[in-house]
Amino acid sequence: MRKREGGRRENRSWRSVVKMIFSVKEEDYKLTKEIGKGASATVYKAIYLPLEKVVAVKCLDLERCNSNLEDIQREAQTMSLIDHPNLISAYCSFVVKHYLWVVMPFMTEGSCSHLMQIAYTEGFEEPIICSILKETLKALVYLHGEGHIHLDVKAGNILLDNSGTVKLGDFGVSAFMFDHGDRQRSRNSFVGTPCWMAPEILNRVNGYDFKADIWSFGITALELAHGHAPFSKEPLMKVLMRTLENAPPGLDYDRDKRFSKSFKHMVTSCLVKDPTKRPTAQKLLKHSFFKGEKHPEITVKKLLAGLVDRIQDDDDSQLSLRRMASIELEALSKNEYDQGISVWNFNVEDLNNHSSLVIHEDQEGHDESIEEDRNLKNWQ
Amino acid sequence: MKGLFKSKPRTPPELVRLTREHLINVDLNTSISDAKREEKLAELGKLIRDLKIILYGNSESEPIPDACAQLTQEFFKGNTLRLLIVCLPKLNLEARKDATQIVANLQRQQVQSRLIASEYLESNKDLMDILIGGYDNMDIALHYGSMLRECIRHQSIARYVLESQHMNKFFDYIQLPNFDIASDAFATFKELLTRHKSTVADFLTKNYDWFFAAYNTKLLESDNYITIRQASKLLGDILLDRSNSSIMLRYVSTLDNLMILMNLLRKSSKNIQIEAFHVFKLFVANENRPPEIENILIKNRSKLLRLFSDLKLDKDDEQFQTDKGQVIKVIEEME
Repeated sequence: MRKREGGRRENRSWRSVVKMIFSVKEEDYKLTKEIGKGASATVYKAIYLPLEKVVAVKCLDLERCNSNLEDIQREAQTMSLIDHPNLISAYCSFVVKHYLWVVMPFMTEGSCSHLMQIAYTEGFEEPIICSILKETLKALVYLHGEGHIHLDVKAGNILLDNSGTVKLGDFGVSAFMFDHGDRQRSRNSFVGTPCWMAPEILNRVNGYDFKADIWSFGITALELAHGHAPFSKEPLMKVLMRTLENAPPGLDYDRDKRFSKSFKHMVTSCLVKDPTKRPTAQKLLKHSFFKGEKHPEITVKKLLAGLVDRIQDDDDSQLSLRRMASIELEALSKNEYDQGISVWNFNVEDLNNHSSLVIHEDQEGHDESIEEDRNLKNWQ
Repeated sequence: MKGLFKSKPRTPPELVRLTREHLINVDLNTSISDAKREEKLAELGKLIRDLKIILYGNSESEPIPDACAQLTQEFFKGNTLRLLIVCLPKLNLEARKDATQIVANLQRQQVQSRLIASEYLESNKDLMDILIGGYDNMDIALHYGSMLRECIRHQSIARYVLESQHMNKFFDYIQLPNFDIASDAFATFKELLTRHKSTVADFLTKNYDWFFAAYNTKLLESDNYITIRQASKLLGDILLDRSNSSIMLRYVSTLDNLMILMNLLRKSSKNIQIEAFHVFKLFVANENRPPEIENILIKNRSKLLRLFSDLKLDKDDEQFQTDKGQVIKVIEEME
């Protein structure tokens, strides 16, 4: 696991051993701490007792999943057939009463978006961004090769651990392009998280394909550079409108002078409105920006070391993992997006109603959590 | 410039033949060294990936129908499907996944408007026995399971599986503790019992007694939440299907069945209650209710009415409301 490059084979044998080892018995797991909570699932830090190994256990309340059991089954299968060092896979999953327990690797440092929120509000340094993006891109090359579109690429789904490993997680919304034996021309359902969504997903005219992930990847690059995604502080309606109507966002403000030309070019190439003009994940990986990047062990560890100085009030370091909550919220949100949009169909009046909900939330002032959560609350 | 020196790409039939040779090697050579073996497997994995790309295209190109047809023809001519299935446990994970997608795709490829996959499977039905046996092996269960579901798209193959001894095993596979495998087995079970209407009706008529006995005791009376929930939903789907109407009438005329469904109505899970309701309503709607069923309904009238007044869906469902109203009305008016 330590070796990053050329470590695939080693990693595989490690995994197949692990897969055999983890039991599917409730009593073998001790849930020690809640590290994230969404409407239908809670994620716990847990100990797998027979090995005394720390794992994450996602407990999904099946009773709250009304008609979409098949989606959950598909997700469980995807997660158990994933084998890539930069993707979160499931060790195993089993049913406990009316909950589905999914046992996953525990990522000690939580997500990139959380790290930015607690210590790097203005974003990360370019070498760190480069490492994180390159690892994420490798995950996308793999997923796309397998026929999967991730559909929810964003800093909140990029998880780190203290050894410097970067993993992309959450297959709650992923679509399978090769479903039912035919290559699907394109998908046409409305999933993801608004700020990161490609225009072709939002306008629903021609459907979308793998390239939708490349757009989200570009938005994620901006997010890591600035500490937040473009428009993330705006109400939902404006996010949708701006993504569709404005010129694509980029690294072209004064504050972006610190970034290299090749970084800017890489971002611009992802954020082209016409999906056919965006590079494939494989091609993007060959972009000059990713040449000669430092190993993530080095950059990410440097980033984590910097944390100590930056966080003044860190009496509960586990709190940092609370970020994982959004993973769950977003899995839940899929349905609500589907519903919301098919009803609305961009009926402006409806959208206004929803954006006023956001304002209402703000006035109440009890929302100390991140933007993404705020966006999601509109749907509840 | 580089492109000029590339060797000529292999034609689809060449690729299939080469894959076949490699598969035979992997199948037979058990005595070669590990390093050599790894190397052979990597080559084979690459070939299988190339086959997949011909059938599905990749992120840059769409598949070409003529190439697909050539590939399909060669594939079935040379018994490659059998080799691929038999050798699957020896392949690495990525090659297994690619192989699964290839098998799925081949089931739909038409060559001169003939489904040659169907013809091939007709005379190789024993392959289904191998695929079903996959549910006993965690490592390959999901791959074989997914291939199996593709094969039973062909009516004659579904009939073979339905009429085989394997049907009985599904009741156990569905309850395997690993969620991903159990739900895969359930997906196959459901496909078998819903896809080919007349074949299913025929099977259920001939196998009514043992099948529903097993269905009731192993699935509906299971301890596993997800088993009960899926099984009660599927039971509703089966009984409500027009082609199964005589089976439905038989089912809803049996007191034991009614009692099982009434127990499900009392479960703490709302989802299970709702699914159970959709079956329960058929007992009530039956105009020729046997006296013992009528009796039980009358005896429990007030409890049933109380239960239904509390049973509500999260979102409005007109059909459910109408059904519920009718059930309540019939129960109220029973003498």
